[in-house]
Amino acid sequence: MTVSLLQPTQDTHGRPRRPAAIMHLRSALNGLHLGLFTFDDALCVQFMNEQLRIVLDLSDDAAGAGSDLQTFIESSPILASTAVQQVLAACHDAVLTRRLKLLEISSNEKGIFYFSIRIEPLPDQTFLATIVDMTAQRVAEARAVEEAMCDPLTGLPNRTLFEDRVVAALDRNASEGVDGPAVMVIDLDRFKNVNDTLGHLTGDGLLRLVSKRLQGMMRQTDIIARFGGDEFAALISPAPDLQSVSLLASRIVDVLSRPYLVDGHLVNIGASVGVAVTPLRGSTYAILLRSADLALYDAKSRGRGTSSLFQPTMDVRAAARRQNENDLRKALALREFSLHFQPQIDLQRNVIVGFEALLRWHHPERGLISPMEFIPLAEEIGLIVPLGEWVLSQACLAASCWPSDISIAVNVSPCQFGDTDRLIDAVAEALAAADMPGSRLELEITESVLLQDADRVLDALHRLRAMGVRVAMDDFGTGYSSLSQLHSFPFDKIKIDRSFVKDRADDRGQDAVIRAIAALGGSLGMATIAEGVETPEQLARIREGGCKIVQGYLFSRPIPVEEVDLMIARHNSKKNTDN
Amino acid sequence: MSALYQVLYCSRNRMSGGSKLVSDNIETILAISRQNNARDQVPGGLIFSDGCFAQVLEGPMDAVVAAFERIQCDERHSEVIVLRSGPIQARSFADWSMAFTGSSDTTLSSQLPISAVSEDGDAVLALLKSVVVRETEWLRRRVN
Repeated sequence: MTVSLLQPTQDTHGRPRRPAAIMHLRSALNGLHLGLFTFDDALCVQFMNEQLRIVLDLSDDAAGAGSDLQTFIESSPILASTAVQQVLAACHDAVLTRRLKLLEISSNEKGIFYFSIRIEPLPDQTFLATIVDMTAQRVAEARAVEEAMCDPLTGLPNRTLFEDRVVAALDRNASEGVDGPAVMVIDLDRFKNVNDTLGHLTGDGLLRLVSKRLQGMMRQTDIIARFGGDEFAALISPAPDLQSVSLLASRIVDVLSRPYLVDGHLVNIGASVGVAVTPLRGSTYAILLRSADLALYDAKSRGRGTSSLFQPTMDVRAAARRQNENDLRKALALREFSLHFQPQIDLQRNVIVGFEALLRWHHPERGLISPMEFIPLAEEIGLIVPLGEWVLSQACLAASCWPSDISIAVNVSPCQFGDTDRLIDAVAEALAAADMPGSRLELEITESVLLQDADRVLDALHRLRAMGVRVAMDDFGTGYSSLSQLHSFPFDKIKIDRSFVKDRADDRGQDAVIRAIAALGGSLGMATIAEGVETPEQLARIREGGCKIVQGYLFSRPIPVEEVDLMIARHNSKKNTDN
Repeated sequence: MSALYQVLYCSRNRMSGGSKLVSDNIETILAISRQNNARDQVPGGLIFSDGCFAQVLEGPMDAVVAAFERIQCDERHSEVIVLRSGPIQARSFADWSMAFTGSSDTTLSSQLPISAVSEDGDAVLALLKSVVVRETEWLRRRVN
């Protein structure tokens, strides 16, 4: 029987042990919730309790008391051979050192098991081993960790868990030669619109539908994660050939862009996808994700609703862009910008009536950089607002030194109308600092300004007008709705786009456009100015068309501020002597 | 019984192959849809004609959304346009599950919004209703 060998004849004080006490002890040991056994220093099992059979899943006829330790441990069907070796080594060690041994083993031979084992030397050359089944606890802990790494809204893995899985896939690629993974980052287009118009609850419902559609497109080994907001990611592992990966990316765009029914609302959104595949061994999670992000940026810049596969050139472009961005931020602080001024001539009186302030960037290494190159970047990174304010203040300061009948035209970016209060403050400050009346300042805006939030923009324009500031519509004739915009605000001036001034084969059509715009301006009480005038022929056409003011290389290139006084003196006094 | 909800959509066929193959595929779709929709209590009409699908789904909102999502993830069609969606008072398609007409039916194909951009939900709905009879005829023709 199990306890037949546990029959010491004396207790620890040398007194004969009473059978009743032994019976009690036996029941107590069998009733314990931990498995225990004792063995001697010859590694022979002396005693085991009933619970141990349950813990180690031993059959009734399995080796028990009296057998050698190895046979005994090996008779457990749930312990893998490595786990058996760990236990035996620990027991052996305890015998040699006669010291307490603690160890935790796990085994996945037949399901997953975790055991906590304690081996303690007893005073009589025997050893007591206790085994506690930790499986339920460890599994619960693991689940808690897993849950903490899941997005509560969709139940999808979060960024942390996703990273773990990508790293594991990369490891398998490196060590076992399994095909490397592909990573996709997925952004929903116009999701913010849904949140803003239908509320966050509907937005949440939509995100749940999106996550289900995404999961439906994945294979068993692939993973969809939610990074937060409307940002999702996919781990395709092992990645099939490039063509299949691209097809999957297109399919994601297609399926996510199909209509949704959320809370009784019909909702349409789009999706952009950036894809990166593992090119070589040695790719890291950071590289893969960054590459996928760059590809996503590319997909978005190509008009969204599309997918893009990472190309090394994107890296180069991004690096150049980052360099430009850093340079641009520095440039404002280091005063690398300057203003040049191009005169505007009244054709009837042949006098300079104003100057347009034009921004120049003198890059310390690259020299003069065209505004066409850096203004879009400045707008994208938000630097246009402080830059625009600097232009306003410098232009007003310069103009304050000129004769009072000469105005200054300053371009205002649509981005500056994002915060109309700030723009108006900046204008007021620039005028005050230069001690110049608002009537000498003319702001040139493009029609895109009026397309953003028309009511707010119109309100701002009226407030500027109340300060005496004049407003001109720039690039007239190039937008989609120039004509309808003319009715929305009483502009002071219309600037005919240079494309109508340039010589073309069919200049009869252009002449007609110039005539029409000048007539339209005349009837609406708006002055018309033509820019980009380079030849006497162009000037003749414009004059004939009825345009009153011109600007262009025919009269002068944009000049530094130091040359402006001289130009005004020469031109306007020459006109005086002409009279 | 929760409130009834209706969705009517058009989409474009993406299955390739000869008309026989497409027709066989559609039979499979119909068979599976009939099962799913009967189980989910979402009866609805499906017509296929000249490369376009039109389907109406009716039932409790959750069930309609679930069926609609299942259909949305189907690769065999694309360019899904919802012509109508919203609550309804009573089922229009209570007693039948699916109707089908082959692309050889020229009278029908001329009535379907070929480009799948039609905003005219009423016309498509009327068309779907008229197909009820056609379905039984079609089944009878196939049996005979």
